[in-house]
Amino acid sequence: MSNWIRYNNLVKTFQKLKQNPELWQRYWVRERVIDAIREYFKGQGFHEAEVPLLLPAPSTEPFLEVFETELKDDQGNKWQGFLPSSPEFALKKLLSAGSGSVFTITKSFRNGEGRSSRHNPEFTILEWYRTPGNYMDVATDFEGLMRFILTFKESPRRSNHLPTRRLPTRRLLEGGSQLTYQDKKYDLSSPWEKISVAEAFAKYASVDTETMLNGSLLIAHGKRKGYQVTETTTWEEIWNQIMANEIEPKLGQNGPTILYDYPIAQAALARPAKDPRFAERFEIFMAGLELGNCFSELTDWKEQEARCKADLALRQAQGKLAFPMDNDFIDALKLGMPPTGGIAVGVDRLVALFADTPDIADTLFFPVGEMFA
Amino acid sequence: MSTMRANQLKTGMFVLYKDQPCAVVKCEFYFPGKGSAFARTKMKNVKTGNVYEYTFKSADMVETVDIDTVELQYLYGDLPAGKAGGDTLYFMNPRTFDQFEVPVSIFEGKEKYLLAEMKMFFNFYEGIAIGVRFPLKVTVKVTEAQEASAGNTVNAPKKPVIIETGVEVLAPLFVKEGEMIIVDTETGEYVSRA
Repeated sequence: MSNWIRYNNLVKTFQKLKQNPELWQRYWVRERVIDAIREYFKGQGFHEAEVPLLLPAPSTEPFLEVFETELKDDQGNKWQGFLPSSPEFALKKLLSAGSGSVFTITKSFRNGEGRSSRHNPEFTILEWYRTPGNYMDVATDFEGLMRFILTFKESPRRSNHLPTRRLPTRRLLEGGSQLTYQDKKYDLSSPWEKISVAEAFAKYASVDTETMLNGSLLIAHGKRKGYQVTETTTWEEIWNQIMANEIEPKLGQNGPTILYDYPIAQAALARPAKDPRFAERFEIFMAGLELGNCFSELTDWKEQEARCKADLALRQAQGKLAFPMDNDFIDALKLGMPPTGGIAVGVDRLVALFADTPDIADTLFFPVGEMFA
Repeated sequence: MSTMRANQLKTGMFVLYKDQPCAVVKCEFYFPGKGSAFARTKMKNVKTGNVYEYTFKSADMVETVDIDTVELQYLYGDLPAGKAGGDTLYFMNPRTFDQFEVPVSIFEGKEKYLLAEMKMFFNFYEGIAIGVRFPLKVTVKVTEAQEASAGNTVNAPKKPVIIETGVEVLAPLFVKEGEMIIVDTETGEYVSRA
């Protein structure tokens, strides 16, 4: 196996492109998808904001490992610096300051993860925030965006530049809705399938809501089904294992599926739903890929501060790299963040989908596995 | 037989899943975002060829299967030239001269690059060949190639040539009949002149 990897690394993507010019077509899909995203959101009245890639404090993700660096000036002063794991805090500061609906297409970074066909340590992320709005407004945005990309990608290019603003946008919006991925057809027309987490556990895993939310009941249920259970097995592990083995394979088979209202323990930055045991969060699944993760954003600064502190404590308990809390984020929320629905979408997966390739590395000119062999 | 944790799983390992010996054909680790790691795997039953998908917790215990690995040399087989197919190929252990029958199916299409006396490693489970480590590159003779006319070389154009096993390979215009070239057996692509 290691031989195979080393050998493939001998031929770099730029060399393959020279040898086999038809490949360019697949790689330029990325450019078209990103053009389409910009065109779509600007047509919807969103602003595009740039966010920093060098931060004194990254988002307080309790489990992700981050990249650390150091900022120096000419006087010998030094500051600890980090690469962002998401643009979320930066955009929420702008929303609290009154930006209105906003999006960004930027790079984010995650360290310490295994190499896979769905992750690159440096990745391109799209986040958009609709305000005023909630998670279901964002679902409607996603439906429109996916069909827009599909039609935009197929439409003829006029030149090497962005299509003009007078492109027949309405026709694009009403355009085709059939996406073919890995020889299977997916229907992107509205409405997309929506199923709550509670319904999905009942329908696909025969787990009722009481059992699903209860630690010992769910672990006992998992054990009866043949999942390995030891003294240290947690509710979260069995919950995710049932999700991965019994539910996710059933989602997004013929078109996107919106899986919504997660147990509150699975949604740190989301607003509670009507049933307070759940939070207003959804994920979108299609063709075995998780395409996006959306919340009705938590806007209460006290609650947010408490959760950030708890997350940092959890990092410390796990021995993860320690970093300071982003107090500016809390200060921004004190200005009053409007009701907002927000989502993070892995652009690399979106590109792989529209380029019809199973491995995101097939759409990157410089995949990490080639550079860091 | 021994056990290990699922976080040590790798593609190419052999494990027992639901009491069946399986080759791990795909294994990717992921974090659903809230904590623990999981291994998303695809496993192929080495007896039946059935494929299973299963997600392990990284702390799950997995039983490994004992596999014998032996280097064998290709003798002969009834392969139609340039095509996949046939049923059984015959190999020999060059040290003991023992002969082995190997089902064509385990080559997964790469049998079309088999040359006489080629050596490679096989995995055996209970006396049956279940997997092969086919050479990543083969050096083969070009048996047919059209003369290319000089012209556009900017876009690295290719022409089809036939190699000695009867397979068509896309090669650069300068490749001539009778030359030895190196072919990537994973992708079927031309690599270089030998």
